[in-house]
Amino acid sequence: MNRTIPLDQLVDKVMAELQKKLPAALQNAASQPAANVTESRMPSETGSADDFGPPISHVPNAKWAEGVEELIASTPARIGVWRSGTRPLTREMLKFRCDHAAAIDSVYGTVSQPLLDEFGLFTVDTYFENIDNYLKRPDMGRIIRDDGVERIRRSCRMKPQVQIVVSDGLSANAVDANLRDVYPSLLDSLSAHGLSLGTPFFVRGGRVAVMDHIGDIIEPEVLVLLIGERPGLVSSRSMSAYMCYRPRKGTVESDRTVISNIHPRGTPSLEAGAHIGSVLKAMLEQKTSGVNLDI
Amino acid sequence: MVRDVQNRMTERSDDRWILSVGIDIGTSTTKMIVSRLRLMRTSSVLSLPRYDIVERELLYESPIYSTPLKSADEVDADGIWQILAREYEHAAVRPEELKSGAVIITGETANKRNAKRILHLLAERSGDFVVATAGADLEGLLAGKGAGAEERSLRIRGAVANIDIGGGTANAAIFQRGKPIGTVTFHVGGRLIQVDTGGAITEVSPSIRRWLNASGYRLEPGQRVSFEVLQQICSAMSRNMLDYLAGYASADQEPVRALLLGEPLSPMPPIEEWMVSGGIGRLMEEAKPNGLADTAVHGDIGPLLAHTIKELSSRYAIRLVKPDQTVRATVIGAGMQSTEISGATVHLDESALPIRNLPVQKLEVTPHLLAHTEHLAQAVSQTMRTAAGLFDAEASPPFALAISGLRPLTYASLQRLSETIYESFIAYFPSSGVIVVVCENDIAKALGQALAKRAGAGPKLVCIDQIKVEHGDYIDLGQPVAGSMIPVVVKTLAFHNRVEVTDV
Repeated sequence: MNRTIPLDQLVDKVMAELQKKLPAALQNAASQPAANVTESRMPSETGSADDFGPPISHVPNAKWAEGVEELIASTPARIGVWRSGTRPLTREMLKFRCDHAAAIDSVYGTVSQPLLDEFGLFTVDTYFENIDNYLKRPDMGRIIRDDGVERIRRSCRMKPQVQIVVSDGLSANAVDANLRDVYPSLLDSLSAHGLSLGTPFFVRGGRVAVMDHIGDIIEPEVLVLLIGERPGLVSSRSMSAYMCYRPRKGTVESDRTVISNIHPRGTPSLEAGAHIGSVLKAMLEQKTSGVNLDI
Repeated sequence: MVRDVQNRMTERSDDRWILSVGIDIGTSTTKMIVSRLRLMRTSSVLSLPRYDIVERELLYESPIYSTPLKSADEVDADGIWQILAREYEHAAVRPEELKSGAVIITGETANKRNAKRILHLLAERSGDFVVATAGADLEGLLAGKGAGAEERSLRIRGAVANIDIGGGTANAAIFQRGKPIGTVTFHVGGRLIQVDTGGAITEVSPSIRRWLNASGYRLEPGQRVSFEVLQQICSAMSRNMLDYLAGYASADQEPVRALLLGEPLSPMPPIEEWMVSGGIGRLMEEAKPNGLADTAVHGDIGPLLAHTIKELSSRYAIRLVKPDQTVRATVIGAGMQSTEISGATVHLDESALPIRNLPVQKLEVTPHLLAHTEHLAQAVSQTMRTAAGLFDAEASPPFALAISGLRPLTYASLQRLSETIYESFIAYFPSSGVIVVVCENDIAKALGQALAKRAGAGPKLVCIDQIKVEHGDYIDLGQPVAGSMIPVVVKTLAFHNRVEVTDV
């Protein structure tokens, strides 16, 4: 039963109940900020348009309301949230726990199969076995299982100019939230730059350095890995694009180029997709990537 | 005055510097400055590239020249060009090196018969991307930036006004928290009434006559006036202006209305601090005139007006602060603060650049429009129709489509939007060879890519972002810097739609 109610809706319900129990007089005394809270839906991770609404200060009778708003707008951190005595307000506490729960859910979630089907991505597994093991043994997320290697050899075009790989990494949620925008935008930018693409696929339980193993198998000129980032309390659905010129076993971290923080409130996904094409083009021209790449 | 002439070109180091010039041709004086602007990546290496102007360094400032005039209503173009040619030499710059900047024609000079032609001539001779500007709004804003009012407003809570007073006009620009919130122009200036040391009036500018009549003064050339009468006139003029800015007087009352050039500000924001720049700002720092002889040292009422304003302004509950620049505020604003840099992920067809004096037509793309295809088509079509009615449909490009909103945007809605824009543009501007789109949010590369897919070998595309423009603004787009971004000058008219003065 618990599984069927999304957390943020539950929070809304609890808040509505609490609001009802407040004596009417107190509610009036609590003035505007409190009233705003119940009307506007709480910013949540569900991707609704509310996420983009102007940030609201909850400081009652602020000495300089515009100043507080300016500060709130400058950071995604939880400031101007107000308090009750020395403790956070129930609403803030619940929101904090809600965000924390969303972060955990992202790690344990799975990428939607219809989404992968939509873009014709087949799936291979790493040796991660299960999420708990994946967290404990990052090294096992860097090697594709033998049957996966077989599948890649069978299905993929070898030595392509550009190889795209998608992986859930630490946030399946990130792939669900961003792939539909980043991926087609990326394909457009490849075709605009006249770059040819190999056969893309999905890696379940991948770590960033799985690029090296895939590089050994397919030997692409450049590889781009779209992978879910470690979720945080600001966003649980942030994606990174790791790019590398001729990734092979032994590639060092400084040889990888990354665009991170791709999510609706971070790096815009469409613009990121369009930019990745230019970065790949630069890598092919300069025959290098990472810190040596000049862009 | 020349500092660090060596090693200021861009390509030699990682820093990207662009040279910028500012030229101000005012009612009484002409001056120029050369500066360099440092572009630096301000986004982290993990983000999309974003560059900003992080440093503006003044390299050279010319002496202050008297504006050469051929006759009372004609500016001496050759005279101005001679001054500039000499100053370029002193500054050790060649016009080809200048990648940005603005020529501004200000005050009463803007009303001269050949002002428009001169402005364009100078802009074209002065460098690849030096733009021509005029209009009291922009002049006031540039002076406010040059005088430091914009920056000051970031350090205090309330609004900061800079009043740039020259020979012919006083341009007030009001900034709050780093944003311009209004401009207003007055017929207040040191040279509006010219007088000799004996108290004989030598000239009365036509633009101040209405105010003089409304205030009960009769002044004609040849007439002799006493120091006390000039004091009274300066005092009444200053009080009308300051009362209006302080919110004590309304523009409906006649003497005040007669002093205003163009539209009044509404509503008047409360001002916490004000500063005075321009020639009058400088005269405020000099000794106070005690008689006709001291007053008429420049043959006009300037010194007296300056000290009248200084004394009067202390009677208001508004702090008078010292500007960073006085007489050079406008030229420094024009040379150092007029240029912005577009986002670094954009879509450019280099062969279409630079583009000068492009009018802006705005389209607000709300989430509602993105969700309803037919409404989006209507809104886009409406915008194109309006643009086709206002601007030259044969021009390439005819206008810049400014798009705001666009958040959140999905791939599907981006495709729909670009399809709609492209189809509508082609329908209304079939013979235009260039499409220019200016987005507020970081989306230009994706949108440009989507438009390019549709345009194919058709119209050229320039799609830039992270530039905020409004209806009625004019923009100038420069040539790419480091291949990925362009300098942009926004010539704002956001406060009043006085198209006739800024159609330069």
